Amino acid sequence: MKNEKKLSLWERYLTKEISIEFKACLYFFAILFFYCVCRMIKGSFEAEILHMAEMIFTCYIICYLQVYLFGNFDETETVGLRECIGVTVCTLLYCAVSYFGGWFGKQLSVSLILAAYILLTYFCVFLIYRTKRRIDDRKLNEELRIFQTEHKK
Amino acid sequence: MKIDIKQITEGEESINIRYKEPNPTVGRIIGILRGEGNKIWGRTEEGSVCIGLDDVLYLESVDDKVFAYTTDKVVRIDGTLNSFMIENDEDVFFRCSKSIVINVNRVTSLKSLASNRIDATMEGGEHIIISRRYASEFRRFLKGDR
Repeated sequence: MKNEKKLSLWERYLTKEISIEFKACLYFFAILFFYCVCRMIKGSFEAEILHMAEMIFTCYIICYLQVYLFGNFDETETVGLRECIGVTVCTLLYCAVSYFGGWFGKQLSVSLILAAYILLTYFCVFLIYRTKRRIDDRKLNEELRIFQTEHKK
Repeated sequence: MKIDIKQITEGEESINIRYKEPNPTVGRIIGILRGEGNKIWGRTEEGSVCIGLDDVLYLESVDDKVFAYTTDKVVRIDGTLNSFMIENDEDVFFRCSKSIVINVNRVTSLKSLASNRIDATMEGGEHIIISRRYASEFRRFLKGDR
């Protein structure tokens, strides 16, 4: 065994951090899209930098909670109580920050629509990760069969 | 154990092994002399046994003791997982966590899990999780890049 091929603690930490950054960017763009659509419906073609800064910081913090506290629920294999609580808490946090941050002019109805949109996004991301794993399963098993064929005595 | 080594200048070379009960050490010596490189000796409740490496599904280290699992036996073997990997230069064994080595030839299916882990189902139906730390290396191992 070559120990240098194993991931070090630092590499594992970095891998997790990158995945959180990726997740934060993903949700930030999803919320930004929703925000821009809302602004355009209201007839404005300008987005406030302060709102965008709030969005990205909110996404970072919530993604940390998602990964370290709620078992990374959008990547999970099965959905249990912990994941359901995680989805609810994170959605409510986005909803609350959007309302108190005035992203949509403190309109509760729009914040609630954002909550529904976040839930839909979580579901879509969950499906995407699951599909990705299924494809990976097939690839892994193909490689396993090739390995076993080559190494049968 | 008394070891008597004598150099001779003529006549046929010979080795005599005298033992009271078969045990893993004697078994390994006999195995080496017979050229049985792909077998390991260990102990079960019934006594010493010899198992083929091909029959081993996986090895597990529990409290500094190493156990080899076959479809019908659990055999305690001497040494550590590291020493097993060094001594048995088989290219089908993979260290998939700190305490487990699997025989990749006896894996029936693999499943990709969240957080880049892999679930390996063995022929006996056991599920062994290849941790994220070892998963990348396992993927390279399957491709023949060790």
